[in-house]
Amino acid sequence: MSFYFLRRLNLLVFTLFMLAMASFGLAYLFPGDYLTNLTGIHFESEQQRQLYATLYKESDGVFWQFIAYLDLLWQGEWGQSFSSNQPLYQEVTTYLPASIELSAYALFVSLVVGIPLGFLAGLRHNKLADYSILSMSFIGYSIPVFWLALILILILSLQMGWFPISGRISLLYYIPLDTGFILIDIIRSDVSYKWDAFNDALRHLFLPTLSISIVTSTIILRITRRSVIEVMGSEYIKAATARGLNRYQVILRHGIRNTIIPIMPQLALQFTTLLTNAMIVESIFSWPGIGNWLIQAIYQGDYPSIRSGMLAVSSLVVIFTVSIDIVHKIIDPQRLYRQRVKI
Amino acid sequence: MPLLDIKNLTLEIDTAGGRVKALDKVNLTIDESEIRALVGESGSGKSLIVKSIVGAINDSWTLTADRLNWKGSDLLAMSKEQRRKITKDDIAVIFQNPVSSLDPTASLGEQLEENIPDHLVGKGWFWQRQEKRKQIVSRQLHKVGIKNHELCLSSFPHQISDDVCQKFMIAMALVSEPKLLIADEPTMGMETTIKSQILKLLSRLNQNRNLSILFVSHDLLAISSMCHSMTVLYCGQTVESGRMTNLRKRPLHPYTKALLDSAPSFSKDLLPKSNLSALDGTIPTLQHLPIGCRLGPRCPRAQKECVKIPAPRHIHNHYYSCHFPLHRPLK
Ligand SMILES: Nc1ncnc2c1ncn2[C@@H]1O[C@H](COP(=O)(O)OP(=O)(O)OP(=O)(O)O)[C@@H](O)[C@H]1O
Ligand code: SF4
Ligand SMILES: [Mg+2]
Repeated sequence: MSFYFLRRLNLLVFTLFMLAMASFGLAYLFPGDYLTNLTGIHFESEQQRQLYATLYKESDGVFWQFIAYLDLLWQGEWGQSFSSNQPLYQEVTTYLPASIELSAYALFVSLVVGIPLGFLAGLRHNKLADYSILSMSFIGYSIPVFWLALILILILSLQMGWFPISGRISLLYYIPLDTGFILIDIIRSDVSYKWDAFNDALRHLFLPTLSISIVTSTIILRITRRSVIEVMGSEYIKAATARGLNRYQVILRHGIRNTIIPIMPQLALQFTTLLTNAMIVESIFSWPGIGNWLIQAIYQGDYPSIRSGMLAVSSLVVIFTVSIDIVHKIIDPQRLYRQRVKI
Repeated sequence: MPLLDIKNLTLEIDTAGGRVKALDKVNLTIDESEIRALVGESGSGKSLIVKSIVGAINDSWTLTADRLNWKGSDLLAMSKEQRRKITKDDIAVIFQNPVSSLDPTASLGEQLEENIPDHLVGKGWFWQRQEKRKQIVSRQLHKVGIKNHELCLSSFPHQISDDVCQKFMIAMALVSEPKLLIADEPTMGMETTIKSQILKLLSRLNQNRNLSILFVSHDLLAISSMCHSMTVLYCGQTVESGRMTNLRKRPLHPYTKALLDSAPSFSKDLLPKSNLSALDGTIPTLQHLPIGCRLGPRCPRAQKECVKIPAPRHIHNHYYSCHFPLHRPLK
């Protein structure tokens, strides 16, 4: 078991190292002075440049430069943005939570919708309910996210006026920034319009969440359905039936756990797909998230932002993936209780 | 009235080469407090019969039977709920592959307790009932020879060795105090001493508690020591059935004779160093079943008529399905 953790940790560290290396390489590959690309400062005097050159060990060769870069990354010195001249560490930590928040709610919605429907379809395998759920899921899966988002805005916001078109919260409400997750921040704040603001934030969340969770719901639905079919066809389910348990007892006591445990990592990993989809949807809904921010950076040729934004997002995905894997190993009894017992 | 009465059970299953009759007009009866052996080569369909009786077959297979009666009432005609009640209360089954018939994510204790019928637990507060369950469970495990019951109950199926798992399955089947026990190779791969313990336990239950047993096995020695009657299966067809003594003394079907002759310790009058007899060839696969009597291509007595399926005939209650049985000289 500990060997396993070591291997995972090794993989994690190595991948993060490679990502850091790639982002370092970008500074050289982007047009312009590499030191400018790293720091985000257009140097006004040779003296100023010299100051940063010593900090980034420019004279020491690429290897030491990279080590210095890693050190600075670790200290939170990510350079500053060309466009806003703000420290990138702060920029990223303000925008990233908004994306994580959106993806997390979307994942929650997709699980709540996808798993029960998947069970329903799987338990009625080859019956009408199965076919209808499956064909609906195919339609949902085939709709492009950006198109769906536009249609939703067109109908639900512009025609019906039920939901706001863009943003995270109405400008009327001022919420002090704390964790970066808007709903949590609202609850933790002590403004007088707390519940109005909460309601407003929820209404802002609705459309972006809906548009990215439809695709993920269909994916989760199909993962669950396949697992249900497999489990319900297995020997131990037949054996449990043959022992005289009724269908509900069989499903409750032996079906659900066996269906969910093997697919848990797959389900959780949908978070990363969601994060990518969220980036697309963010720019449509002007959601102040990392995706929107990155796209702005790309338009403006803001190389330091692109470098650190990509590094932050990819590191997040890698860390998340590895943690899911480890958590799954910890709670799966087949792995947890691996030792054979002598009876 | 027999406890279980099966007449012309046919099971069609899907294989790569299309639909085939994996079981073809199988007949089997089990009387009250009888131990019946079901023997046949590997792949002859023994496990399929077991699964058909308890309804653990794939939904896509078709099962038809003239009779599949439990104490006179037809299991196929009754409602699902009624049938479930019978399998729950009266029939217990040990499947051939013990590990895969246990839920891998539930502890053995959970799965064993699930099988205790409520009337054995009695009434009381839930902790009293829990206490009672614990008692029943540990007593049952001791009976099948698992001494460290605490450890066993808290383990998961993949943690225990195969023979402990097999004993556990036996305990699990017996804990509901069934009328009929269907045991599909319950002692496979066990050590001889443990095997004889288990067989003794089963015989004792048969004598003291009138437990009927359908004993599926390859082990002719074990069968002859404990079974009262025997049904021989070849390739999904019942070829011969009757009292154990009659079958041993005078098999009527060429296949039964070959089967008995192939077990050296079983035929007493064997000269030292004489050749062991066996039929030529091997059991055909489901995709290449011969028409008529399925033994045809391998049968030393086969004639032209054998391309027609032989109807079951009988002498008293000794049934056989063969055009040219051994007691009639060949023309
Ligand atoms: N789930 C299945 N799908 C397709 N064919 C099957 C299935 N189960 C069994 N069969 C086929 O049915 C035939 C009978 O199988 P069965 O398991 O009943 O044999 P058996 O007599 O129990 O053999 P053994 O002594 O090896 O247990 C075999 O040819 C097997 O290939
Ligand atoms: S019917 Fe013919 S082929 Fe079949 S067992 Fe009898 S003699 Fe042999
Ligand atoms: Mg078998």
